[in-house]
Amino acid sequence: MLKTISLILPVLIPSWRFFKAVEPSPRVEWAIVPRDAEGASNWTPYQPRPQAVSLGEMFRRLLWNPAWNDALFVVSCAERIALGIEPTSHSVNEIQRRILRDINGLDLGVDEGLMQFRLVFVYRDDTGFVQDVVFVSEPVPVRGAS
Amino acid sequence: MTFDLAVRLTEILLALAFLQQCAEHIFWSGETRLLFLPRAVLSVVVLTGIFSEWALLGLTLHSFLFLHRFNGPYNGGSDRMGLLVLYCLCMAQLLQAGLPREAAFGYLGMQVVLSYFISGWVKIINPEWRSGRALRDVFSFSAYPVSENLRGFVQMPRLLWGMSWAVMGFEVVFPLALLHPVTLPVALAVAALFHLANACLFGLNRFLWFWIASYPSILWVQERLLGGG
Repeated sequence: MLKTISLILPVLIPSWRFFKAVEPSPRVEWAIVPRDAEGASNWTPYQPRPQAVSLGEMFRRLLWNPAWNDALFVVSCAERIALGIEPTSHSVNEIQRRILRDINGLDLGVDEGLMQFRLVFVYRDDTGFVQDVVFVSEPVPVRGAS
Repeated sequence: MTFDLAVRLTEILLALAFLQQCAEHIFWSGETRLLFLPRAVLSVVVLTGIFSEWALLGLTLHSFLFLHRFNGPYNGGSDRMGLLVLYCLCMAQLLQAGLPREAAFGYLGMQVVLSYFISGWVKIINPEWRSGRALRDVFSFSAYPVSENLRGFVQMPRLLWGMSWAVMGFEVVFPLALLHPVTLPVALAVAALFHLANACLFGLNRFLWFWIASYPSILWVQERLLGGG
């Protein structure tokens, strides 16, 4: 009951502080860890944005934009993990499930091994752009875990 | 605009926004199909206008499942606005006729005004927004631009400075639009164009539909305040 109230209150009394400040922005990267290796090294960006989107495609997405909305949810999950919003396991599972779905569903040629993802936060400081790895997930089997 | 007409228009616009959202979940990956099917069915019932008050109650109860499933909103601000519209509509239909219903619907109208004013205020007091730096950051490294080419806007700092002030200025003066019957529809048209731009540049299509669904409430509030409602 308390949990439900805590979820409804921000809806009934919204803060409306959109883009109050531009916070560090998450990127999700995934990699396959060979079973005999200690950790991942070849990190691949997850859901990279395309180089260009035509005006027609932008207007089409007004009515049909599921992939991008799902990517925005992944961004929300990454931010929740970085902020330690409990349960972080929920956000970890949501990201992990999507990566495994795509690995298994898009025939990326990955059949075995373990998958890990990490969160890289990009921000600007006095010296320029900075990238910090703030989270690395536990490896999970590519097959049978999604 | 009468109270009944404003409520009915809001119901129709909200139902259509929910159906757009449900279609994405039901026909894309299908992982959350079972969660969104009841929302789609209840939205169709709301659209017909038959037993819509009970369908709104059903949608409200279903929203608790939705919030638990995603541990909060799925798409941040747009989901929150959609659910706020839903809860206010539900109260406006189920509460005792008269002031309680009007208060529930008026609360939605007030929140629409606050959604623009607060959003503008928190930006205008931030030096990075006033200098245009914040919007450059949005385009250069945030997760929102829908393509890499859009990051090229960073090379046009004067344009981004102008866009920053146009957005902040509009949002902060938005409440003044309530003062005259002509200025509010104009302001809402500009606001809808702003959401349209956000949908094109940042892929925030759901913001457009849920905010438009909230507009009849503020139009009704204005008439009520100016003595015509």
